[in-house]
Amino acid sequence: METMMGQGRLAIDMIVDQDSFAENQIPNFSVPCEDYAPGAVVGTARINGRECTVIANDAMECNPRFPVVYAGIIGMEEGYKMAMAVYRSIEADADLPVAKKRPLLLIVDTPGNGPGKVEEIIGMNKSTGAYQLALAEARKAGHPVLAVVIGRAISGAFLCHGLQADQIISLSSKYNTMIHVMPLTSIARITKQDLERLTALSTSNPVFAAGPEFFFRLGGVEEIMESPQAMRECVTRHLDDIYTLKAVNRTDKLGPWGRGELGEQRGGRITRKKVMARMNEQFDAVADRYLNA
Amino acid sequence: MSKWQTLQTRSFLESTARQRAQGLVDEGSFTELVGPTERFISPHLPELGEAVEFDDGVVTGIGLLGKHPAIVISQEGRFIGGAVGEVGGAKMVGALKLAQSIYEKLQAENPAEVQARRPIVLISFETGGVRLHEANAGLLAHAEVMDQIQNLRHKVPVVSVVGSKIGCFGGMGFVAAATDVIVMSEFSRIGLTGPEVIEQEMGRAEFDASDRALVFRTTGGKHKYIMGDCNYLVPDSIAAFRQQAIAIAALPMDAIENLRRIGSRSAIERQMQLVAMAAEVSPTDAKDMWKAIGNENPQQLIDANYTDFMAQAKRLTPAA
Repeated sequence: METMMGQGRLAIDMIVDQDSFAENQIPNFSVPCEDYAPGAVVGTARINGRECTVIANDAMECNPRFPVVYAGIIGMEEGYKMAMAVYRSIEADADLPVAKKRPLLLIVDTPGNGPGKVEEIIGMNKSTGAYQLALAEARKAGHPVLAVVIGRAISGAFLCHGLQADQIISLSSKYNTMIHVMPLTSIARITKQDLERLTALSTSNPVFAAGPEFFFRLGGVEEIMESPQAMRECVTRHLDDIYTLKAVNRTDKLGPWGRGELGEQRGGRITRKKVMARMNEQFDAVADRYLNA
Repeated sequence: MSKWQTLQTRSFLESTARQRAQGLVDEGSFTELVGPTERFISPHLPELGEAVEFDDGVVTGIGLLGKHPAIVISQEGRFIGGAVGEVGGAKMVGALKLAQSIYEKLQAENPAEVQARRPIVLISFETGGVRLHEANAGLLAHAEVMDQIQNLRHKVPVVSVVGSKIGCFGGMGFVAAATDVIVMSEFSRIGLTGPEVIEQEMGRAEFDASDRALVFRTTGGKHKYIMGDCNYLVPDSIAAFRQQAIAIAALPMDAIENLRRIGSRSAIERQMQLVAMAAEVSPTDAKDMWKAIGNENPQQLIDANYTDFMAQAKRLTPAA
């Protein structure tokens, strides 16, 4: 298998228990019409017998109402459909203890957000913002949220479908997996930097370069998988890991904050923490004036 | 007139990030945290031979609105378009965490005073989102900012103050949408995809990025106010934004929650109805939506001055 790009549905089948995925089946979840946001696939499956919510991209679908939305792009309907799947999952387990809350599995293969005029008039930013807030709420409520990058995880679309997860795992770039804001060629053009120089620099500083291996060094990816056959085992292991960390209240090791800490351990983004430490120090020196005004 | 009083009369649009930060809070109350004297520069720009700023293009600090500690984040568009990198991103995250710790301390030590002394966060956006020179760090920082905003939910109001030249685009467009309250002037804009990119995607016949009136109709303050995305439209002065911030600081937290566009199932159910309306109206111009919302003469609203616009505009409101 050379690539999993465009094969979100196949990836679901490779990861979850055999024939266990039931599309649109989440308690109290419904869509306004049958062809609502067809590129956003949501539903319930089992992983080793445990029920989980699956949210994936189907890059083969086009949205019949919003023509800029195809090939895995997350448009307005898609973002809200994904967010709704998250809120319904939270509600379904509202009375359960953290150890019993269903995991959310995000299968990521998206090249971007809807870039159109109608999208701007209505507010594309709200739709993907809504999905990010929903995932953050689920994570903080105790649901393990795991993102699996199988194809494209690009910029704003990765921000909403991936970067709010507890942990992120990715297929290696051997499978043409792409994680970036922009390809290095576009960055070179826009920042007026020499492409060869940027390419050379990116081997020593991962903030410049595109690809899962560079995000790994920044803490943005927890683990890189060397083959699609490894996905199921890797998902199982990371879900266990997330459950364990949540059970012992180590949520500081998870989510966007945890990725900041992991990045520092791996030698990327080392200034970040110093900035925050200095801010706290400086505030402490003047705190009285603001706390007792 | 003191320097602060002079700031009050200034155009918000024309002001620097630091002037906005100082002017939004009470006179003499602003303390900059991790300011330029600390010289936290981007560690990545020098590798590319690019100029740096000692504040990395973001002013962070704390002031007061009466008894309310006001944590201010103010972005400077004159430095690489206000784009967010590792240091600027960390300053934003640090400031939001600071708001949370101030709230928690108050809640623990003085719970009776929470309403009267609750902190407030003001983010004066001027940005296109991720700084491409350090793109990966910028992207990861955006996710951290979003995470911190969710931590402040139902505790500390987070207010988007959008009145600057560049407005708020890219990944920071998500962040603004995710805050509790949005205050704008008609001269600023919020969106995701900038006009040039839309033109590139759709062709000039569909969207001419050089048509300023079109650009402002699509993402500008008046449009966002009619769509219910902007809660308060104010005149273009620092004093006007400041007065609005004072009023918001006094609101109870459940009233703040009602100002949100997204962040709950009921909020996104309303947004889904708006998307369905868009599919039906199929707007080729923001004016088509203004009409659908009940404004019979959109051109009149475009031409109207602030007072007339506020008196005449029919709008959607965020809450049901």
